[in-house]
Amino acid sequence: MPEGDVSMAEESNNGSGLDYIMSLEDVPSKLPPHLELFKTRVLCNNDAPVHTETIQYSGAYATLGVDNSVRLDNFCENFKVEVKRLTDSDMEFDLIGIDPAIANAFRRILISEVPTMAIERVYIANNTSVVQDEVLSHRLGLVPIRADPRLFEYPENAGDDKNEKNTIVFKLHARCRVGQPRITVKSDKLKWLPNGSELPCEDVRSNAGSKPKTFTSFTCSQDSLPEFSGNSISVTYPDIILAKLGPGQEIELEAHAVKGIGRTHAKWSPVATAWYRMLPEVVLLEDVVDEVADELKNKCPANVFDIEDFGKGNRRATVARPRDCTLCRECIRGGKEWEDRVSLRRVKHHCIFTIESTGALPPEVLFTEAVKILEDKCERVITELS
Amino acid sequence: MEIGSYSDQSKSTFCLVDEDHTFANSVRFALNQDPRVTFCGYSIPHPSVTQVNIRVQTTGDPAKEVMKDGCQDLMRMCQHIRSSFTDAFIDFKRTKTDTKQDMDTK
Amino acid sequence: MDGGWKTDDGIQMVDGDNFRPKCIYVAVMMRRIMDAILNKDAMDDKDYVGNKRLELSGQLISLLFEDLFKSMTTEVKNLTDKMLDKPDKARNFDMSTNIITLGLERTLSTGNFEIKRFRMERKGMTQVLQRLSFIGAMGHMTRVSPQFEKSRKVSGPRALQPSQWGMLCPCDTPEGEACGLVKNLALMTHVTTDEEEGPLISMCYLLGVEDLELLSAEELHTPDSFLVIFNGLILGKHRKPLRFAAAIRKLRRDGKIGEFVSVYVNEKQHCVYLASDGGRVCRPLVIADKGISRIKQHHMKELVDGVRTFDDFLRDGLLEYLDVNEENNALIALYEGDATSETTHIEIEPFTILGVIAGLIPYPHHNQSPRNTYQCAMGKQAMGNIAYNQLRRMDSLLYLLVYPQRPLLTTKTIELVGYDKLGAGQNATVAVMSYSGYDIEDAIVMNKASLDRGFGRCIVMKKYSAVIQKHSNDTSDRILRPNRTADTAGRMQILDDDGIAAPGEILKPFDIYVNKQSPIDTRTPKSGSAANLPDSAYRSNAQSFKGHGGEVIDRVVLCSDKDKNMCIKFLIRHTRRPELGDKFSSRHGQKGVCGTIVQQEDFPFSEKGICPDLIMNPHGFPSRMTVGKMIELLGGKAGVSCGRFHYGSAFGERSGHADKVEAISETLVSKGFNYSGKDFIYSGITGCPLQAYIFMGPIYYQKLKHMVLDKMHARGSGPRVMLTRQPTEGRARNGGLRVGEMERDCLIAYGASMLIYERLMLSSDPFEVQVCTACGLLGYYNHKLKTGICSSCKNGDNISTMKLPYACKLMIQELQSMNIVPRLKLADA
Repeated sequence: MPEGDVSMAEESNNGSGLDYIMSLEDVPSKLPPHLELFKTRVLCNNDAPVHTETIQYSGAYATLGVDNSVRLDNFCENFKVEVKRLTDSDMEFDLIGIDPAIANAFRRILISEVPTMAIERVYIANNTSVVQDEVLSHRLGLVPIRADPRLFEYPENAGDDKNEKNTIVFKLHARCRVGQPRITVKSDKLKWLPNGSELPCEDVRSNAGSKPKTFTSFTCSQDSLPEFSGNSISVTYPDIILAKLGPGQEIELEAHAVKGIGRTHAKWSPVATAWYRMLPEVVLLEDVVDEVADELKNKCPANVFDIEDFGKGNRRATVARPRDCTLCRECIRGGKEWEDRVSLRRVKHHCIFTIESTGALPPEVLFTEAVKILEDKCERVITELS
Repeated sequence: MEIGSYSDQSKSTFCLVDEDHTFANSVRFALNQDPRVTFCGYSIPHPSVTQVNIRVQTTGDPAKEVMKDGCQDLMRMCQHIRSSFTDAFIDFKRTKTDTKQDMDTK
Repeated sequence: MDGGWKTDDGIQMVDGDNFRPKCIYVAVMMRRIMDAILNKDAMDDKDYVGNKRLELSGQLISLLFEDLFKSMTTEVKNLTDKMLDKPDKARNFDMSTNIITLGLERTLSTGNFEIKRFRMERKGMTQVLQRLSFIGAMGHMTRVSPQFEKSRKVSGPRALQPSQWGMLCPCDTPEGEACGLVKNLALMTHVTTDEEEGPLISMCYLLGVEDLELLSAEELHTPDSFLVIFNGLILGKHRKPLRFAAAIRKLRRDGKIGEFVSVYVNEKQHCVYLASDGGRVCRPLVIADKGISRIKQHHMKELVDGVRTFDDFLRDGLLEYLDVNEENNALIALYEGDATSETTHIEIEPFTILGVIAGLIPYPHHNQSPRNTYQCAMGKQAMGNIAYNQLRRMDSLLYLLVYPQRPLLTTKTIELVGYDKLGAGQNATVAVMSYSGYDIEDAIVMNKASLDRGFGRCIVMKKYSAVIQKHSNDTSDRILRPNRTADTAGRMQILDDDGIAAPGEILKPFDIYVNKQSPIDTRTPKSGSAANLPDSAYRSNAQSFKGHGGEVIDRVVLCSDKDKNMCIKFLIRHTRRPELGDKFSSRHGQKGVCGTIVQQEDFPFSEKGICPDLIMNPHGFPSRMTVGKMIELLGGKAGVSCGRFHYGSAFGERSGHADKVEAISETLVSKGFNYSGKDFIYSGITGCPLQAYIFMGPIYYQKLKHMVLDKMHARGSGPRVMLTRQPTEGRARNGGLRVGEMERDCLIAYGASMLIYERLMLSSDPFEVQVCTACGLLGYYNHKLKTGICSSCKNGDNISTMKLPYACKLMIQELQSMNIVPRLKLADA
């Protein structure tokens, strides 16, 4: 198209070339409908989804004279958030008008970069159970801890020093007496020690009289700190099975939790999982009436369709709950005619985001934290470049 | 770190250590939205090295500035997302407690 | 009973002067030979399973005992004879030579059967039971090894025999030289043992068998009279063979004679064969009268309620055991519905034609046959649970899985053998897609978060032992309390005060785990108490740990070995998470190594938020044709979503022991999945949906015992062999990596001469020699005169110095020692 060539040429001459072109009368300012469809929707055909990629490049439609760039104010205008569901640990919300690249960045940060506290070192004083030391430690590591990681520092910053700012100490002591039935050790047996470790370091036992040196050097009790006075630190779920003890078996250990991120180890991941899906859109390409409508309604296991009665026994299928569509593709199974009747789509710039928190932080905080982390990344790069 | 040429500042590759797809893919999006950018792409040269190379080519402006602007845009975007998320969340909380109170009063 | 008796080899023997039975036997043999010459079809097939006998341990040991007993009696006789020759006959007579005990012990410990009287010499007759995995042990116990050598190039014995149906597993055989020769028993096979012959023979006569000696020639050749042969011995003739066979079968079903006695009417040979000997394979079948099963609904209910057992069924004549020969007289229907009025038996379940190991494969009947064979070889290498007492055992090597799981897609065999309780694998969510390029050639991409959470984590336990040797001069080794101030104290940190490492301690490389000392002099007898040797008479013989670091001492056992020495055994445990290069396999002969480990956020995820544990390349499917794996994925996915374990028993669709794909698809659809198991997947990297639906669901994956940690090897410099001064060979000796013939050929072809020079000499065994240019022999370097001297010319005039591989110098000298004189002719380059 000649317009495109002109726009490219003009643009390099003076920056306002595109605006000039756009102001011309016979230049279309909107994409033709089929391109608009491909740009904004994923078409989930029976064989494969098509047009899955988003068109990011600003000049993608330059030849049509359509500007694909998104200015920030433009984005701010269109962007919307709708919270759909919220519990203590779960949250579902819609991000409307966002590119999946950005939504994905938040998902990735949630999984791997939002810090939490998790047990990293386990000092085992006694373990006569059948669970091996390292397996028990591994299990302990995966126990989610209800402690706000924002109140703690990364252990790397403090060198070898384990103080009240970077370590949470738990104690576990469980014993099954001889003659008693087996017991199950659950995570509620982990007791928080606000004063730090109680186990003496083995190598320093000489200077008697003075307080024996332990594995931590707390200057004060974590209890006394204002952050923790209200809410004491504990495990999120009291019923996680750690080990089973037979008669005469005993576990005595101390577990030290530190701050970390999920990229290092999944135990520091603050979410069980976080993901998004694009908003489903189900479109009936032709009127589906009578028996076919019934068939369509019965085909869908997610009950997406409804039947509309408009008198005289005439019925027509309508798309009532497109959001419930799981993309099982049952409605477009069974031949070409069904594919022509129903079109399953996904709206590219509408993400239904779900966060399942492990309990350290509520999901809404997790999300804001994640967004902050992406901001920090940007800032880091900006400072690095200037 | 930036790799480019002095003579033509409109083309550069930025090597960022300790970054991955998370940042590179979102900044690629942000840069591609900028009309000054003719090309933006990134690669991770090796999976065991935590490094990304982001290539930026512009219509003439210095790539570094465009890159900075891209990051700036992305940051503002994030700020907007955060504020609208908090608003939506507070909104939702309020309506929820309202309905709850309604239920209670009924 | 004057039909004669037979030797162990089954040859008719002569009773007194009566040669008639023997003549008849030989005549029958001749007749069979002539038959075979005239008609090739009448030949016996030596690969036919009915003509084979398995040797069981009892039989073999009785043979061994017989031999040993006889040699003992001759030995005693010889001793007595010698004793009687001597003048003082009153000396006490010692015959405690222990021939039997020693002989049995030796044979059982070495596995070499040497029975001179039968000229039997066989190796590997006793084997140590494989305990590396539960299924390996089960498989080992069902193994049938051939007795003839494996090098023969004949296909007959290796081929699948139709007669092994239901008796020997068609899948389970090793690859390579023993392929098809080593077999495994099928699930319900029973191997008979010898049964007393006397009562059976007299019963045959009672049932109308006529002794040949009493028959005239005319009677002998009555057209429809059949020869009755009992365990290879001609008993006589019977006029109504079918009625005779029916009578025997009736007696057997009534429990009047042993349930493993078989009767078989051979119409072609006009013979009735009875067999009660040991080593026949047989299997149970449901008896059907004119096509109607004897087992009725109420029987099955009683079985389910536990009122009746399998043995009750057998006793009540609802089931019977048939051996391979008798199966030829039966018409066996696969299912009750297929039975016609001619049907005599009904198969219990078709999946029982497979063995224990092949029974683990879900949907094996949908797989290409060699894949099932590969899986049979691999299932034995899978890590998992060994036995319920696995943590109390002291095996020399033990592989355990930290979190073994029960397969989501089970089979009936799995339940019958208890694999669901002692599993060896984990249900991994697998996405079949290509990802990252590190998944070529069957490599799999693994999710780091899954590994963090314990997927594929395994424990390797190794036994190390230390013996406190007692020496010939009454001295003995000793264990010392560690000296905490010595310079070796760092390596002795894990030791208790008794000088033995404590359980629970974490080992580092070169840590000492037993602080043992040995006396320097172990030969010359010591005067006085041997315990009072001075410390200077001992040298340290501490055993240090050579491992990777991070291993933990699991247990320490003190015991005494067979020479009554104190023996300290350490069980050392190493917990490993999967790493690059560890080997994994599904249950369909699809092995692959871990190609790369990827962060969870880079992994694709589905609309339901499901993120796979591993990604498998789809190229693994077209050429392997393991459709069973695909159905396993579907069934597993339906299983997790509806909460019911699905079944995939072999050939089980018809009898309800395997879920049909249609039913599975319906379950999937009702749970909101696509009927084909393909999900809409988002890329974890870009965030956009993938351009294809991805086949994703749980597949039971096994971790195989081959791990890189045990295999990886590289060397810069290191030990050399004394003789040739070349680097040592093999990983265990920290050996070098050989540039072999073919590698050398490549370098020659490429022309990289300096590289060859470097690899073959400089990096291997360079040596400076003095060569005499006059005589061409090697000289030596005289350090006093600081010149080279030729020892044959007795001067140093023409010596030049050059470099040779030490091995070359060695060869020259070795040749010289054989009176061959190689001379080096040097020229300027």
